[in-house]
Amino acid sequence: MAELANEPCLAIEGLTKRFGGFYALNDLTMAVAQGAIHAVIGPNGAGKTTFFNLITGVLTADTGRIVFEGRLLDEARPSRRTVRGIARTFQNIRLFPQLTVLETVMIGEHCRYYPSILKGLRDLLYRPFGEAEDERVMRGNALELLEFLGLADQRDQKASDLPYGDQRKLEMARALATRPRLLLLDEPAAGLNPHETEHLDEVITRIRDRGVTIILVEHDMGLVMGISDRITVLNFGTRIADGNPREIQDDPAVIEAYLGEDEAP
Amino acid sequence: MFDGLLDGYTRSILIFAGINVVAAYSFYVPFKTGQVSLGQAGFMAVGAYTAAIMTQKFGLPFWAGFLVGGFIAGIVGVVVGFPALRIKGIYLLLLTLGFSEIVQVIALSWDYVGGAQGFRQIAFNRYTLDYLVVLIPLLIWFFARLERSSLGRAMDSIHQDETAAEVMGIDVVRTKLFAFGLGAMIAGFAGALYAHHATFMDSSTFNIMMGVEILMFVVVGGGSTYWGPLLGALFLTLLPEFLRTLREWLELVPVSWMNFFPANRVYDFLHEFLDFENAKRLIVYGIILIVMMILRPDGMLTRDQLRRFSLPRLGRRHG
Repeated sequence: MAELANEPCLAIEGLTKRFGGFYALNDLTMAVAQGAIHAVIGPNGAGKTTFFNLITGVLTADTGRIVFEGRLLDEARPSRRTVRGIARTFQNIRLFPQLTVLETVMIGEHCRYYPSILKGLRDLLYRPFGEAEDERVMRGNALELLEFLGLADQRDQKASDLPYGDQRKLEMARALATRPRLLLLDEPAAGLNPHETEHLDEVITRIRDRGVTIILVEHDMGLVMGISDRITVLNFGTRIADGNPREIQDDPAVIEAYLGEDEAP
Repeated sequence: MFDGLLDGYTRSILIFAGINVVAAYSFYVPFKTGQVSLGQAGFMAVGAYTAAIMTQKFGLPFWAGFLVGGFIAGIVGVVVGFPALRIKGIYLLLLTLGFSEIVQVIALSWDYVGGAQGFRQIAFNRYTLDYLVVLIPLLIWFFARLERSSLGRAMDSIHQDETAAEVMGIDVVRTKLFAFGLGAMIAGFAGALYAHHATFMDSSTFNIMMGVEILMFVVVGGGSTYWGPLLGALFLTLLPEFLRTLREWLELVPVSWMNFFPANRVYDFLHEFLDFENAKRLIVYGIILIVMMILRPDGMLTRDQLRRFSLPRLGRRHG
């Protein structure tokens, strides 16, 4: 196990994705340490969302490889990668509008307790009435997660009826319900008010303390600089800097990318 | 069953209503995963012809033909479901429509099953109503269990956001295929029952209009809860009967009340309108559909309504 601790949670080697002639991601190499909060920042169009989509399998890379916990991440479908231990939230919230808060979190639990349809059918048919044992366990787990994120009181509300900030938290709860070892947060502070953002860094830190490695894509620099252990800066699909928050803040290439050449000191 | 209780006419109405209920559930299953199929009549045809071949050509008893018919329809459903996985919305409608059309053309040109002459003299199954009385509660029980189970929730989530469901680890491909196959199998059962009750069918029996009607059962009844298909199929199938009864009541009104200007026109119009035959039924269906889409786009019954009625139980479940 000592070996595992030194091994990066996620290692990315030469990852490239083209859309026509446009390189959304160009030969990206980086490593995410076990148990870290690793931020990926960059101006709009830098390739951050493509990066997430490649890791979760929503898109397929043209070249390059992704190694997760020492093993090649070669599952093609996003659902298989989630089962491997990678979960994500969405930049534009994608909840299931008709499900309640509790049901939404139980969707995240589904892949662990019902890996096959047959298992689902068996639970349905063997016990003609009442609730399957796994359902009860799932409900308990889901409630525990809702309490962890402070949403337990809203458990019977419809997901679409929640205020925006709570919807973001619910997305995190749903992602955590899959018991990921790597969690990708896509702009969790987008659309939140300053008070909610302040609360957010505490939430993210507590998720990390549960033993989840976090990759964070975010525009809110206050949040990024405050909680990140390491930051990778992308611009036009290439990595222009990599380091801890202090190093990044002083990096001339980063300042140039963000502020433009003229204003660089 | 019910031999002494029901006259032949009522019996026949109930049987067709029951077959429509089963057909409505066949649409409901794929719909639960967001797949809208206009081809359920095509799967009914597969089940009907397969069952009739089993009973008429191979001399099997009806129950065997019924099971084989449903099974083969389910397999065809999975095969059709594969290309259906990749497409959504209007394109899926067109694919299932095309499938239904292909089945009709095969039935028309395959002489073994009667071709243009139709499949004649299929052995009459005396127990159609008994099959329905067992099958429909079984379906309701299954879908009630499904709605409260993790598998059912997973299907709902696919309906609501397929990408998000996939990213949450739900095997969207297999779940959708399963739903499509199960729906086709249920349609096959409905078709087998139909063939051995009507005793005759040809290529136009299971036509596209039938597929549209099946879709309407669920759209009108409500697709978000398992009671919706039952309610919609019963309502739309029995509606002509209600209207026929209304007409009979209308005839009880004394003529002397009606022989002045506005009343006689209104009377004549209603009397004419309530006289039901096929073309007019479709007009009424059309009107109902338009009114429903404006007033209750989610159908007559929705899950939210049912939830409101069962709050105490919900409280205990979570307590």
